[in-house]
Amino acid sequence: MKFIKRHISLIFPLIAILLGLEFFIVFDRTTDSFEKGLQAGYSMMVVSKDEMSIDDFKAWDSHIEHVQELEKSKILKRLNMDKDKSKQKSFELSLPNFYSLKLDGYLTVEELESVKNNLKKSSNILSIETFHSTYQSKYELFSFIKFSFQTFIIFMTIIGFFLIVKQMEVWNFLHAQRMKVMEIFGASLFLRSKILINMALIDAVISAILTSWLFYLFKNSWVQGSQMEILKDNVDGVFKFSDVFILLFASITVVMIAVFLVVVNVKEE
Amino acid sequence: MPNVITANNLTLGYENDKEIIRNANFSIKKGDFVFITGPSGSGKSTLLKSFYGSLIPESGSLVVGGLDMVGINTKNLQELRTHLGIVFQDYKLINEWTVKKNVVLPLWISGYSIEVQDTQAKRLLHHVKLSGKEEKYPLELSGGEQQRVGVARALAKNPFLILADEPTGNLDEYSSNVIWDLMENACHQLETTVVVVTHRIPMVFNIPYRHFTIDENGSVYEVH
Repeated sequence: MKFIKRHISLIFPLIAILLGLEFFIVFDRTTDSFEKGLQAGYSMMVVSKDEMSIDDFKAWDSHIEHVQELEKSKILKRLNMDKDKSKQKSFELSLPNFYSLKLDGYLTVEELESVKNNLKKSSNILSIETFHSTYQSKYELFSFIKFSFQTFIIFMTIIGFFLIVKQMEVWNFLHAQRMKVMEIFGASLFLRSKILINMALIDAVISAILTSWLFYLFKNSWVQGSQMEILKDNVDGVFKFSDVFILLFASITVVMIAVFLVVVNVKEE
Repeated sequence: MPNVITANNLTLGYENDKEIIRNANFSIKKGDFVFITGPSGSGKSTLLKSFYGSLIPESGSLVVGGLDMVGINTKNLQELRTHLGIVFQDYKLINEWTVKKNVVLPLWISGYSIEVQDTQAKRLLHHVKLSGKEEKYPLELSGGEQQRVGVARALAKNPFLILADEPTGNLDEYSSNVIWDLMENACHQLETTVVVVTHRIPMVFNIPYRHFTIDENGSVYEVH
């Protein structure tokens, strides 16, 4: 019982920190593709008097990454005005230039407005049209979820760290006397902290395995049956085998810092 | 006989505190048995602490086992300590370890094999009259028995110097006699240097000894 209690008191806060970290990684992966989807669904159409190159557009706003000129013949075809070949040519000459713009990333609504305003400053540009249907509502909901989730992760990590600090005080109480005696008899820093290091390493490995197992279950049971498109579309991103190593590394780093701080603070009487 | 401890104008004190030992000059040779006495608070334990590097001299010089304790580095200090036997009034045993594990601590630190540790533990516990208590924990023993474990630990690696701070301060007569016998034997038979801080020199002592005293001003004298 004492053994379990001693280990649980470190494993619990470590799992809290690792859950926070893994949630952050998973959230980052799943939202990345969602952001790309939002970005793809957003298009900006520009009408200009004279022909413009990508560099001309970039000179007005650096967020513009790709420019595709829409062929006038195709526009006329869609308008069903390509029957008469002679008229078609004159129509084509009288038409302005149409461009579809792609941006360099997932921009906020404010940033998109700023791009439009920058382009409007050009006297060559006659009109700017955006096609975004639900972009703004999706973006706002997404931003809210992202903010809530990140706040939750930060909160969880802070709680985890406080619990680890508490555990360090307990370690200090439990191990200080032994380490002081060993120091008097000439034990090196490593030898003095060996017992604590072994215990902390075991707890770090257990915590990483438990957290990985939780996410494996989350991926294979909950996500599979979930109706959430964002998760179902990115089921492979929910948990990857390589995450075990990330969690193990993070877990060992946290406990080693904690052990080091305890050991260097034990002073000989 | 070569000097094991040499102090020249040795001054000791704690940070932001007055000097406790002032300008002490003495030397202790291999095989000497030395008692250090003095009134409470005179600096007996402080002087002993400086011998195992727990307190660094403020000024003067102190050489222990050929190592200058002023500016000694961690590696040398650790090496020196593995060749010392230290006994404390409050025993300083590791309560979550068995008696056997406590006794062989200096051997474990120096990387001796399990076989050597077992043999030494058996021999030492027999010497301190604690055979059969190898697997007990310190808190299951009486104060006298705990101190005998402390002495066994100090003797575990046949140190060249034993430092004892009030080793019989809290003990009954039987345990005190066992401890004095062990220290006398270590000094007489193995030529181990023994330095004991005490309030009172035992009435019956079977080997020649030297007696240093510290007065209230922190001066160290040898009593002849």
